[in-house]
This record gives sequence, C-alpha cells and structure tokens, in this order.
Amino acid sequence: MEYEIKDISLAELGKTRIEWAERRMPVLRRIRERFGKERPLQGLRMGLCLHVTSETANLVLTLKEGGARVALCASNPLSTQDDVAACLVRDFEVPVFAIKGEDEEAYYRHIVRVLSTEPQILMDDGCDLIGTYHMVAMGRKAHLHRVVREWAFPSEEGKAQRMGTSVLGGLEETTTGVIRLRSMERDGVLLFPAIAVNDALTKHMFDNVYGTGQSTIDGILRATNVLLAGRVFVVCGYGWCGKGIAQRAKGMNARVVVTEVDPLKALEAFMDGFCVMDMKTAAPIGDIFVTATGDVRVIRREHFELMKDGAIVANAGHFNVEVDVEALEQMKKKKRRIREHVE
Amino acid sequence: MNLSCAEGHPSEVMDMSFSNQALCAEYLRRKSEELGRRVYPVPLEIDREVARLKLELHGVKVDELTEEQRHYLRSWESGT
Repeated sequence: MEYEIKDISLAELGKTRIEWAERRMPVLRRIRERFGKERPLQGLRMGLCLHVTSETANLVLTLKEGGARVALCASNPLSTQDDVAACLVRDFEVPVFAIKGEDEEAYYRHIVRVLSTEPQILMDDGCDLIGTYHMVAMGRKAHLHRVVREWAFPSEEGKAQRMGTSVLGGLEETTTGVIRLRSMERDGVLLFPAIAVNDALTKHMFDNVYGTGQSTIDGILRATNVLLAGRVFVVCGYGWCGKGIAQRAKGMNARVVVTEVDPLKALEAFMDGFCVMDMKTAAPIGDIFVTATGDVRVIRREHFELMKDGAIVANAGHFNVEVDVEALEQMKKKKRRIREHVE
Repeated sequence: MNLSCAEGHPSEVMDMSFSNQALCAEYLRRKSEELGRRVYPVPLEIDREVARLKLELHGVKVDELTEEQRHYLRSWESGT
C-alpha cells in the first residue's frame, strides 16, 4: 500500500486519540454499526480531502465499515495530526497522504495521489480536490499547480491522461467549498452532482457556531495566552462562524466589535448587542482581530497602518487569504517568530 | 487558527457533520443516476435523522404533535 506520512512510529499515540474522539461521536458510531451490517458502500472507491484529525479518522473507519475503499489527503497543509495519519496507515490500512506543515507542492502532490486512485466519490473540505479534478478534466492547465499539471498532462499534446469519468458525485464539507461549487454550477462546468453537506442544519448550526466558535478562541489562547477580558476583540464577518466566535468572546468578557458588509447580518449583530462598525474605525481600537468571512484581503495595508502596536491578527476562515499577509510582509521592518504560531 | 494552533473542532460537533457526510455518501451512491450536474442540499430526512439520533443518544426526549395540533397547523380557517 502506498502512503506518505510523517512517521509511522507515531501510530500508537494516534490510536488513543482516535479512540478518545470515538467516545464522543455516538451518532457516527451508530451509523458505523448499521454500515457494518448493511455494507451500503461495498466496493465504492472514495477520495477524501479533509483535515486529517481524529474525528476524520472515525469518519474514514465508518466509510470502510460500509465497504468503501478510502484514500485520504489533507485539506489544509497545517491541520494534519501526524499521529492519527500514522495510525490510519498502520492499523487500518488506509492510504493517507498528509504531513503537518507540508509545502504547497506536497499538498498538491497528495491531492494527485488521491485522484490517482480513481475515486468514484470525492469528499472535500474547501473544494480543492473537486476543483483540481475539474480543472484537469477541462484541460485548464494554466490554473493547475505544476505537480498536478505534470501528472495530468505528461505530454505537450495536452489530453488529460488519467482522468476517468467514473466520478458519481461529490460531497462538500465547508461554506467556502460550497461557494466554489455553486460558481462551478453557475458557469455550467460541474461534471457530477454535488451535495452541500455544509448546508445541513445539523452541520452549520453547530459545527460553524459552536465548533469554530470554541476552537478559534482555543487557538488564540494556546498561541498567545492573552487575557480576553477587557480587550477589544474584533470579529470580521457575522456569518455562522463569526457569530459563534463573537458570542464566545463576549462570554469571556472581551469588548466585542463586529464588522460586516451585509446590512442584514450587521443589523443582527447590532441587535445581538455587539458594537458594529466599519473596518477603518475598528482598526485603531482593536487588540485582537479575527477574520471569518470567506473572502480575500478583509484586513489589508490600510488597516494595518492604523493598528495599535502589539495588535494580534488571526484568521479563522478556511483559506489563508482573509488577512493580507503579503502587505504585512512588505510593510515590516523585520519579522521574528516570538512563540510557536506567532510572528 | 483553530486547526493549526488548537486541535480543531471538538468531536461532539464533528459527530454531526461527519454523520451527515457518511449518510450523504450512502445517498449519493443510491441516487447518483437520478441526480443532475447540480449542487444539492442535504436531504431533509438525513438532517432530521442526525438530529434525532443526537438527541436520542443524549437521552433527550422531545414531544410529538397531537392530532389536534397537527390539524390546527394545517388549517387556515381558525385564527383566534
């Protein structure tokens, strides 16, 4: 079996971690039991591009129990739990292609490895797997990362070599990915039916609000160990995720500011008791900024210029595009890594 | 932020998200020939099933509409 992970000897750690998650996932456990009896996915090849975490491992084991053959790569270069990946490979014979901190080239190489298994169902988080599949199938060479291009178009004549037409459908986990899928649908290029799993009420009403809400605060605290009480905490975007982050920050006695572009959401934030203002006004008063918008350059040069010294800027959105890090790089006098995850 | 610095979402919420994924994979396999090249919502029966299981496994009971209540909701004749 082929795989590409950090270190197989981490598997034992991963095993207990997967077990710990399993105990707290009773619904999935129930489905796994039924899948074991009914085998509804018997023989189905599935390609998964998800955060490689202990929870994802439990999903993979559920799909396998249903009879599917699963290959897994990371949907974000930074989120892989290397011990979980090791356990999936060693104990469950799942081909995993994911290493925490992988560079862009490795990230796309891993997507290629999953596509090479000729999956019939693509399960995605952020739409990079489904997007790459489509760009290969459509021959959009210019949009592809070099490693994908070299794999899909080994010769100059330009026919996509290995791209079968066997995909039955796609499943998308997150808001950002669903927006990309809808763009593909609108442009008439979608090659198979796709289900917006993100849009299930039992997904976004809980995952985005309580999941992202809690884990974003958790991430900020672990990375910085700042006290939130009394600080001006600016949340950019008041969608499901932004709402969850703002509510939790409020609960920790931060002074919470919300910025929005949609008047309805802004009004909702206002009536929920938050200070709503534009980014220009928020920039000079904020101590901590978190983006959760799904759009690009929400915090950019004009805002950095106004910020207090020591302001903390973080992104909770799916892709690393909401904070204009490039502009910050250009503006910097110097850059230091002061703690893990803090520059 | 949440995934690189912390451990991502707690398992309890991923339980629901991934239950939807698993059930939708089953649904796709069964129905893919009837579906077009479109973006579809999660079928309501899957969403409700996940919510029902989550409540059941937390030991939470919910009410059912009585026949009278069902009738009241369906009819437009009666107001105050």
